[in-house]
Amino acid sequence: MDNLVIDQSPSSPAIMADWNAGVIRMKGDSYPENSFELFQPLIDWVEAYLAKAGRPLQLELELVYLNTSSIRSMMDIFDQMESAHKKGQTVSARWIYEAANERVGQLAEEFCEDCSFPFSIEVKR
Amino acid sequence: MTTTLQDSPIDLLAIREIFNRQNIMLCFNGPVTAPLIEEIGAALRKHMEGLQESPSAVSDVFSVYIEMAQNIRRYAQGQAFENDASTILISRDESSHYVISASNIVHHNDGQALVERIQQLAHLDKEALKAAFKTQLRQPRSTLSGSAGLGLIDMARKAAAPLQYFLQTLDNGRALFSLRVIL
Repeated sequence: MDNLVIDQSPSSPAIMADWNAGVIRMKGDSYPENSFELFQPLIDWVEAYLAKAGRPLQLELELVYLNTSSIRSMMDIFDQMESAHKKGQTVSARWIYEAANERVGQLAEEFCEDCSFPFSIEVKR
Repeated sequence: MTTTLQDSPIDLLAIREIFNRQNIMLCFNGPVTAPLIEEIGAALRKHMEGLQESPSAVSDVFSVYIEMAQNIRRYAQGQAFENDASTILISRDESSHYVISASNIVHHNDGQALVERIQQLAHLDKEALKAAFKTQLRQPRSTLSGSAGLGLIDMARKAAAPLQYFLQTLDNGRALFSLRVIL
């Protein structure tokens, strides 16, 4: 399976999913008009990875502002990871944000509440 | 012969006067497009950062603006109201709360449904709104029509007071729907 690379734009994050490393990195703002279209390739990639790779998956996030349809799409990805975790696969997430952007930290906390896999929220230093 | 601004049928000075009196920071009136939503949003963020606002205040105003503008655009596209003008205003009230207001053309029935939804949300406290948000977040994709259905709940969660609305009947089964969110 290939890596997935989606370039950053003012309203959509940089997305880089590395099949061999088992790492997904997402960085930037996410408020595109068509969030569902933007995230579908990533949701498909995660599904394929969790079904075939047989290795851990690590999600590295430096997302800043998300509109509600991006929040919905991220929750779909966390749900995919949660069900893999319940089947015994190793998955984890780390969300890094700047201390001044409290709202990002609060959003990350709300996602974290619904995940039982390792999920750390860290202030950028 | 010279023409002065005062001869113009559009009284720009009077419009400016209204803007100043109502503390309107930013206003848009016209058909809403995706690039416009982004550009106005970027200008709004920059302007607020220049006012030395806290990142949380900037984020809340930006977020409510984006949800409103994207809701209007999605609806207008789906209902072929794309060429109708919508209005979006960002202002401050007398106690310095930020106020985001918008109005757009809707089918009267759709406007009525929105009003009912807002009235239901008005009864919920912050904890109940959070629960409603999480319930909506888990609605199956198949029941969603390209929208996550979270925008209004998100605005209500951020607002300092219940969402205010106004539905004004127009001709041909249409109405003007107005929404105001006080942060």
